[in-house]
Amino acid sequence: MSYLDYIRNFSIIAHIDHGKSTLADRLIEKTGLVQARDMKEQYLDNMDIERERGITIKLQTTRLQYKANDGQEYILNLIDTPGHVDFNYEVSRSLAACDGAVLVVDATQGVEAQTLGNVYLALDEDLEILPVLNKMDLDSARPDDARAEIEDIIGLDASEAPEISAKTGMGIDEMLEKLVEVIPPPQGDPDGKLKALIFDSYYDSYKGVIIYTRIFDGRVKKGDMIRMMNTGKNYEVTEVGYCIPGTVPAEELKAGEVGYICGSIKQVADARVGDTITLAADPADAPLKGYKKAQSMVYCGIFPAEGEKYENVKDALEKLQVNDAAFNFEPENSAALGYGFRCGFLGLLHMDVITERLAREFDLDVITTLPSVVYKVVMKDGRVLDIQNPSNLPNPIEIAHIEEPIVKADIMTPNEYVGSIMSLCQNRRGNMIHMEYLTKTRVQLHYEIPLNEVIYDFFDALKSRTRGYASLDYEFLRYQPAKLVKLDILLNREQIDALSTIVPEEEAMAKGRGICEKLKDIIPRHQFEVPIQAAIGQKIIARETVRAYRKDVLAKCYGGDVSRKKKLLEKQKAGKKRMRQFGTVTVPQEAFTEVLKLDDGR
Amino acid sequence: MHWPLNSSATDSMENSNKKTGLYIHIPFCVKKCNYCAFLSFPADESPRAEYTDALINEIRMRSAGQEKIRLDTVYIGGGTPSVLDVSQLSRIIKAVRQYYDVAPEAEITLEANPGTLGKKDVVTRTKLIAYRSMGINRLSMGVQSMDNDRLHFMGRIHTPGDVARDMRLAREMGFDNINLDLIFSVPGENTEDALDDARRIIGLGPEHISCYSLQMEEGTPFYEMAERGDITEVPDEEDRETYHRICDLLKEAGYGHYEISNFALTGKRSQHNSLYWNMDDYIGCGLGASGFVYGTRYRNTADMKEYIDHYSILFDDEKCEDGGSTPYEEVHRNSPFDNISEAVFTGLRRAEGISFEDALRAYGIGYPGMDASEKFWMIFSDAETEARSYAENGFLIIDDTGLRLTEKGIDISNGIMSLFV
Repeated sequence: MSYLDYIRNFSIIAHIDHGKSTLADRLIEKTGLVQARDMKEQYLDNMDIERERGITIKLQTTRLQYKANDGQEYILNLIDTPGHVDFNYEVSRSLAACDGAVLVVDATQGVEAQTLGNVYLALDEDLEILPVLNKMDLDSARPDDARAEIEDIIGLDASEAPEISAKTGMGIDEMLEKLVEVIPPPQGDPDGKLKALIFDSYYDSYKGVIIYTRIFDGRVKKGDMIRMMNTGKNYEVTEVGYCIPGTVPAEELKAGEVGYICGSIKQVADARVGDTITLAADPADAPLKGYKKAQSMVYCGIFPAEGEKYENVKDALEKLQVNDAAFNFEPENSAALGYGFRCGFLGLLHMDVITERLAREFDLDVITTLPSVVYKVVMKDGRVLDIQNPSNLPNPIEIAHIEEPIVKADIMTPNEYVGSIMSLCQNRRGNMIHMEYLTKTRVQLHYEIPLNEVIYDFFDALKSRTRGYASLDYEFLRYQPAKLVKLDILLNREQIDALSTIVPEEEAMAKGRGICEKLKDIIPRHQFEVPIQAAIGQKIIARETVRAYRKDVLAKCYGGDVSRKKKLLEKQKAGKKRMRQFGTVTVPQEAFTEVLKLDDGR
Repeated sequence: MHWPLNSSATDSMENSNKKTGLYIHIPFCVKKCNYCAFLSFPADESPRAEYTDALINEIRMRSAGQEKIRLDTVYIGGGTPSVLDVSQLSRIIKAVRQYYDVAPEAEITLEANPGTLGKKDVVTRTKLIAYRSMGINRLSMGVQSMDNDRLHFMGRIHTPGDVARDMRLAREMGFDNINLDLIFSVPGENTEDALDDARRIIGLGPEHISCYSLQMEEGTPFYEMAERGDITEVPDEEDRETYHRICDLLKEAGYGHYEISNFALTGKRSQHNSLYWNMDDYIGCGLGASGFVYGTRYRNTADMKEYIDHYSILFDDEKCEDGGSTPYEEVHRNSPFDNISEAVFTGLRRAEGISFEDALRAYGIGYPGMDASEKFWMIFSDAETEARSYAENGFLIIDDTGLRLTEKGIDISNGIMSLFV
């Protein structure tokens, strides 16, 4: 028997919140790598933000050792996958590194949109899938229904699906046995030409970029000169090893194994997810399939807030970029906000995560502007411009037409919410392609919907209308012409470029009114009246007024309590620091992101 | 239109040597008013007696030092200090005189609420005579309104008749320095109602009037009622209209508007309250009382049990110092910037405003070769642009000597003051 027979490379796939990370924790604990007392909850989610939100963004990989009932010691390489639709490409590359996947289904919830989305990704990679039913410790678990759904909706045999509770540890041993049995060992030729898939990488300040890789053929060791087949760059290997977790050096990595490679690589963009590593001296004929360069779908401006230094923001963005190939930025100059950066993200969550990290890890005070998608602007002279900053939209006279990105959105829901989802999607310019009953009570709706409508608060609106029961999966489909106009906002008759948006012409009036109303609530009273106007070109289409403030005085400084009064004043001053001055008008920073969250529900 | 600087508004500016006052807090009342967020509650005889003992110990503890501290003012506030027995008050004042050097001309104020001085004239007279004999020479009465329904609505225990009677008796007994409090913008009250109140209070002929617009403080019955929607706050516009009309009325009646909420006949400003706005020293004694001494601000614990436990033991003379276990809610040693910042925002409450000289004196550090105005704006360089914009819009007066609010600047004074913290 070959060493390959004792390796299993697998991922855990699940809908968000179905317990993927908890299960990973339990496996790590079971296989004795991390003492229970050292376990933070969800060991693999190593960013604070992830732990707080209960989602995994950055992948983690762990090599587990498991002694099976047949007396053999198995190496189980758990390749974690990010749990959000923004990171579908990374998920697909992680899955490509595996030979099988554990499909976690919450026995209290059943199959959800992302369950399905992830299963399809796994099937695309030809993976063997082991379904397991999680959260069996809860009274509300309905294993039979969940089993039926897995069989009906996905078409997998779930009759032998282990029933587990990742939380309590129940059924984990049975699951591991099943895993060794169901998931096939890797194949590959350790003496062939090196072909290794990069499925993740991160920047370490001592070792440079650490590449997570699955070796398909050949072997690699310290001192080898490696080549990235898609980017063509060469690096000398300084270290290879296993992720146990963390990095533990080894002699070499060979076909079928999962581990890491370091090579003094300066930024993760040079070791892109999906690229194939080979030996420069003896390269493979062709790279592994599936490589894509990460593409930004959503853009926003990030500007230093009042009192924050441009250089500090730049440094922080550079540090983040080193670790995130999907994030990019370039300098931008706004009349309203001064010097800042235009940043590109995979999606809205990715954007949220980056801006939150700026605040938390770098302690920066930044203003983020409204997110925007990339529009294709077809000019009358035939040129096609990619515009992601509304301020850069050319003069309408020169534009032949504008195209916007459309996504294919799959929404899975209990049937009682179909009506409200349909009205939501209709409000968001969605076009229903078809609808199917997956079971008697579960429906999947297929929509084509402008990405622009999804990025603001679609997910929140969906959740609130369905009490959290509906789930969403989406992917880019195509560009499509649309009647779009630039909506400008004027404060005290001055146009604020950072508040401009591109909106459908037919909705401009309603949007303009909504934004003005929202700003009226957000902008504090001033010494004078502040008119807020929405305009298309020269035409004012909506107006609100923030009245001058009349009263902001404390009647009494009682009993000589100067300290308390002072605290009030300090609080007031601190509040103002989070504001931004535009000419004579002071605008709270949240205005720039809050302003378009116009809840449909109202 | 500027905040009136009439004759009486300038009569306290000559004092540049620091004064010292003593504030004594009596956290008891007959019944808590619907708008009241002060540290005060109804209490029986035994806690009052216990508190008096503890308070006297604190008064003594805070006097410890080489020499007796000279007091220019004593202020007994609350709560309703007049709910204490005459004998209790007398012991407190005796202790003050024993441990401090009370200036012969010192202003000694007692907050005495109408309805707490006794129902029978003979009782009231006796009480007032006792106060006089203790040296109390100023009374401050929480009249709040002269409308029976409104008084009832606010949860006050007195009637307009009680006020008139107490006022008459106080005059009879020789009190010639009396403050009456007025609250306006009570829910349901319009400007005319408030002006009626003000007129009737003026009609009583006090030397000093304090006017406050009612604030909905969290934790008060009014706040709860407003949250439930049972009552509606008077709109800001109307509140400000009322305030300015009352200011005009009082001015016509000869009261100088010397601080945002305070009005006085010539020579009758509150000496004690002025300490707060002049960065003078004041010792605070009693539950939750604030003090500012030796450049340090403190606030006593608001926990009655903790207070009593600490101060009920009689210190022997050796230990009669703050051994570090004094129960404070907060102690803060002021930095030079704290000092100048407080000098500015408390100073802005006064009609005179704050002079750059006084502000810099609070700061305590010189900038040789520069004039006061330059130095001041150097310290507040980040506030200057906005301060000048307030000045351009008529809210603030900035000249070579200092800053002061205009009458319309009062309305938005927090925003202006917050520039300097």
